[in-house]
Amino acid sequence: MHIPENYLSPVTCGVMTVAMVPVWAHAIKKVKVELPKEKLPLVGVGAAFSFLAMMFNVPLVGGTTGHAVGGTLIALLFGPNAACLAVSVALLLQAVIFGDGGILAFGANCFNMAFILPYVGYAIYSMIVKRFGSEKASVHYIAAAIGSYIGINVAAFAAAVEFGVQPLLFKDSLGNALYCPYDLSVSIPAMMIPHLAVAGFVEAIFTVVVFAFVRKTAPDLLFENIKTGATEAKSHIPVFALIAVLVAATPLGLLATGTAWGEWGSDEIADVVTNGSALGYTPSGLENGWSLDVIMPDYAMEGMNEVVAYILSAIIGVALLVIIFKLASLLVKEKKVSNVA
Amino acid sequence: MLPNWLTTTEAYEPPKGGGTFAIKTMRSFGHMMGRLQFQQGHEKRHALPALVKFFLLVLAIVFLSWTHQLVALLAYAAVLLLYLSTWPPQDIWKVLRGALIAVVFSGILLAPAMMLRPEGIPNNLQLVCKVFLTVMMVSIFNHTTQWNHITGALRKLHVPGVVIFTLDLTLKYIVILGRFIYDVLTSYSLRAVGNHRKKYKSVGGVMGITFIRGANMSQEMYEAMRCRGFTDDYRGL
Repeated sequence: MHIPENYLSPVTCGVMTVAMVPVWAHAIKKVKVELPKEKLPLVGVGAAFSFLAMMFNVPLVGGTTGHAVGGTLIALLFGPNAACLAVSVALLLQAVIFGDGGILAFGANCFNMAFILPYVGYAIYSMIVKRFGSEKASVHYIAAAIGSYIGINVAAFAAAVEFGVQPLLFKDSLGNALYCPYDLSVSIPAMMIPHLAVAGFVEAIFTVVVFAFVRKTAPDLLFENIKTGATEAKSHIPVFALIAVLVAATPLGLLATGTAWGEWGSDEIADVVTNGSALGYTPSGLENGWSLDVIMPDYAMEGMNEVVAYILSAIIGVALLVIIFKLASLLVKEKKVSNVA
Repeated sequence: MLPNWLTTTEAYEPPKGGGTFAIKTMRSFGHMMGRLQFQQGHEKRHALPALVKFFLLVLAIVFLSWTHQLVALLAYAAVLLLYLSTWPPQDIWKVLRGALIAVVFSGILLAPAMMLRPEGIPNNLQLVCKVFLTVMMVSIFNHTTQWNHITGALRKLHVPGVVIFTLDLTLKYIVILGRFIYDVLTSYSLRAVGNHRKKYKSVGGVMGITFIRGANMSQEMYEAMRCRGFTDDYRGL
């Protein structure tokens, strides 16, 4: 679901980034109130979960690949505002270091995965929990599954719309699209069918499994408990152990070999077959657009063992996220634990 | 009863100017010097000997600069960042601050090349990464090793005793003289309320006093060391 560089016009990127600014400002303001200072470094752990989830590519129908995002999961752990920040930072790392998602398209990617996804997922989760009572654990798990499934699909829909409006708005004199060449009638089914059929379930399973694990081993990390200040801090070793296991397992994401829909390189796109006919040209915006040769395109480098590169990327990503949120906690002033009623 | 002259409000504002800048700068400079704490690395109890660490550091830096294998770069980054992520936030910031400044600086130097993208030069951040990792390694070493252990390691490398002696004393006396300047200027500003016209004149005085004090201290210390049997052979603290 990462929109790469030059698939969206610079204008669209600008609009999406401007749209994200108030969201980020709101999230930062809220997080300062909602989360006690000592919990802030742990948001980095949440971001690490999201980062790792996005590295597990699963093959989808139609030869493309997709992945979970984990935005709803972080929203369940630290609240939707912290989730917004966590996923944004994870996306920034992916864009700058690993070339997953464009730097210009960062705002759009954040809009889909860091704004729509966690807020929708969390809203649905809390709606269901409120409706059916919060005593039973199963209600929480089912709510988490439904929330995350709907969350990722709404986000995928938003991405599809962003792709789909490009050919309607930006064309050259020959009528060839400048940026993403597929309009809404292609992009929406192409994004939605795989996500409704597979990626949504992957996201739901990932969310529920990790949510259940954290609920059992470290209940003080859950947003519902942070809000009320109900539980004592416990050792978080099991959580870190889970992260280590996920890091070691990331090479499984390599088994899915296809390129995700809408994430082709400029050398690939001319041969992509849609409705029985290849596109036949490379949109000029894609061919000549600005892009940064990041250090590790697609989590690997030339002449390198992919598995090693993937594991090392995962370690770097996780460590950076933990460090970033630890540093962020320095900026927040010490305060009493506030119970947000 | 308060006397009348105590109850009236006075509106006395000393006119600005006259060397305040120099005084303030010196004072904050002295304050910073006094706060430098070279002796406070957070060394663990079972840390590697400083000499071994020093060798490893030099080896690691040489290898990092020499290698063209990106996987090595990646492994370096993974190990260092993972290690760093277990530290408390304040210490992480101390280490990263230096590394980030170096990154910004080298980034500015490389920016034209990255924008213009000449043929044959990869538009990536490999060099910036190397700078980042190198500076980070050095500051991790600095942070986890007490200063006297570092000079001890230098001694074992047969760096002449006089050099190490000078280094040790310099580091100690930067702190002591910094505190001294700060104290002198604090007492000056407390006594000089309203005496505003020729503040710059006192700058020379403060520096002079500091110098005389420094000279006296060195003389006293030399005598104290002779009394304790110093034979001009220095082995580190």
